[in-house]
Amino acid sequence: MGASMTQGASFSARLKMLVRLHKLEANRGLKDIFDNPFSNFMTVLVIAIALALPAGLQILLDNGKNLSQSWDGASRISLYLKVNLKDSQTQILADKIRRNLAVERVDVILPSMALKDFGERSGFADAIAELDSNPLPPTLVVQPSPEYSSPAASEKLLAEFELLADVDKAQLDLDWVRKLYALIQLAEKAAAALGAALALAVLLIVGNTIRLSVQNRREEIEVVKLVGATDAFIRRPFLYTGFWYGLFAGILCWIILEISLVWLEEPVANLASLYQSQFMVSGLNLFQSFQLLTVSCSLGLLGSWFSVGRHIRNIEPR
Amino acid sequence: MIQFAQVSKRYPNGQDALRQVNLEIASGEMAFLTGHSGAGKSTMLKLICLMERATSGQVIINGKNLNKVKRRKIPAVRRDIGMIFQDHRLLFDRTVFDNVALPLMIAGYEHREIGRRVRAALDKVGLLSKEKNTPIMLSGGEQQRVGIARAVVNKPPLLLADEPTGNLDPELSAEIMRLFEQFNQVGVSLLIASHDLSLLAQMHYRTLVMKEGRLVQDQTDEALNIEPVDSEHSPSEHPLDDQYE
Repeated sequence: MGASMTQGASFSARLKMLVRLHKLEANRGLKDIFDNPFSNFMTVLVIAIALALPAGLQILLDNGKNLSQSWDGASRISLYLKVNLKDSQTQILADKIRRNLAVERVDVILPSMALKDFGERSGFADAIAELDSNPLPPTLVVQPSPEYSSPAASEKLLAEFELLADVDKAQLDLDWVRKLYALIQLAEKAAAALGAALALAVLLIVGNTIRLSVQNRREEIEVVKLVGATDAFIRRPFLYTGFWYGLFAGILCWIILEISLVWLEEPVANLASLYQSQFMVSGLNLFQSFQLLTVSCSLGLLGSWFSVGRHIRNIEPR
Repeated sequence: MIQFAQVSKRYPNGQDALRQVNLEIASGEMAFLTGHSGAGKSTMLKLICLMERATSGQVIINGKNLNKVKRRKIPAVRRDIGMIFQDHRLLFDRTVFDNVALPLMIAGYEHREIGRRVRAALDKVGLLSKEKNTPIMLSGGEQQRVGIARAVVNKPPLLLADEPTGNLDPELSAEIMRLFEQFNQVGVSLLIASHDLSLLAQMHYRTLVMKEGRLVQDQTDEALNIEPVDSEHSPSEHPLDDQYE
């Protein structure tokens, strides 16, 4: 029974009280926010937008990487052969290349097929029919096996093919993918810098809001200090307020991102279909959502920690 | 309980609030502190609860030299001192119960124990029926009694009161003083700052008179010293005990 509870309270009783106290103060922090819903919603919204910018950029970059990786696997080497090469010689060369362990598949495009195809696609069929000779070279499209499709390995393969006597020109289709990749890496750095700047902004927003709320409760803090409260006791409800700001902002940010992605879905699908791609924008998975909330809660907590520690020290009872 | 040795206090603006004050108040003693405003009464109380630090000299409370108390340890010192203010200093957004419970929550008492002690304290000051009200619904005298309940709920050995009857009419003031006497009768030490001379004249307790930062008079009423008068309570028993147990 509680009657036995004196100054030397048992550890479990103290722990129980601490848990109760935390619950109480978590509720108080929540109540503080809901007591002033409009201005607090503004604060939460500002934090959410500040979080949504880098998070959204990160999602785009992740998608960009997915895109480039899916093409990475499809890196192809086009071998443009000498124009005067006979069809039979082309086939022999193709067979020879097929025997290479690094090659998965070789497609042969004979000049006649290429011309016909070009005629059909370009609509210049009539003009092409007027030509005396076929200007197109025979082409081999080499698909490296998956373990040789990394940029470095394909490059080595490319160099190997360039040395073949019948090959006029070897071209790696990966080039633009690598450019995209480099661009994404650059954008990632920029996103990280933007993220850091906006994280700092969130800290400042939360810190400033908490500073105001500390000032509003100056009298209360003085009273509580007079009856013997430690700084930790006074700090706690403000830390909870900061935590709630972070949590609500994280949830709102998540909603903003999901809405934007739904909004982007159709145009992206349209664009992808033009490239005969099944590409779909992927949003936040469960783990990333959790990450987002963790970051936003931590920023809220940290912002209030920095602010409240400094400001409650300055409040001494008079 | 309270010991001042050559204590001086000069505020940053150059004002000398206390000059070389020597004083000793025994454990279980009840004393009044009086003098014109600005004579140093409040400064004295502020030094005891570490709202201010002495410029020179030593303040020893309950055997503890306050000069050696670091900032982080101030809350622990204040928990052993019940403080009562002229303006009550209640939290107006919380109920009477929560106001009185505050020192116990800070000290980490268990929920049920808090309920029991708060009700005992409120019963003592006659406000048990108002525990769910907010202070704003109470009269000035009632608010002061809530402040007293908050000061005693933690059973501190020392109570400080700064003009506790400043805003009250004589009848209510006498009521508050009777409460103080009851606490004193069970061994609580009290130091009460007041300039209500007519009230002090009725009380027959030791009275310390301050003037311009000096202790100029120390009247001890021999007839009514620290003997416990009430036979119903033995000094070891706090008035908040044996209720709601």
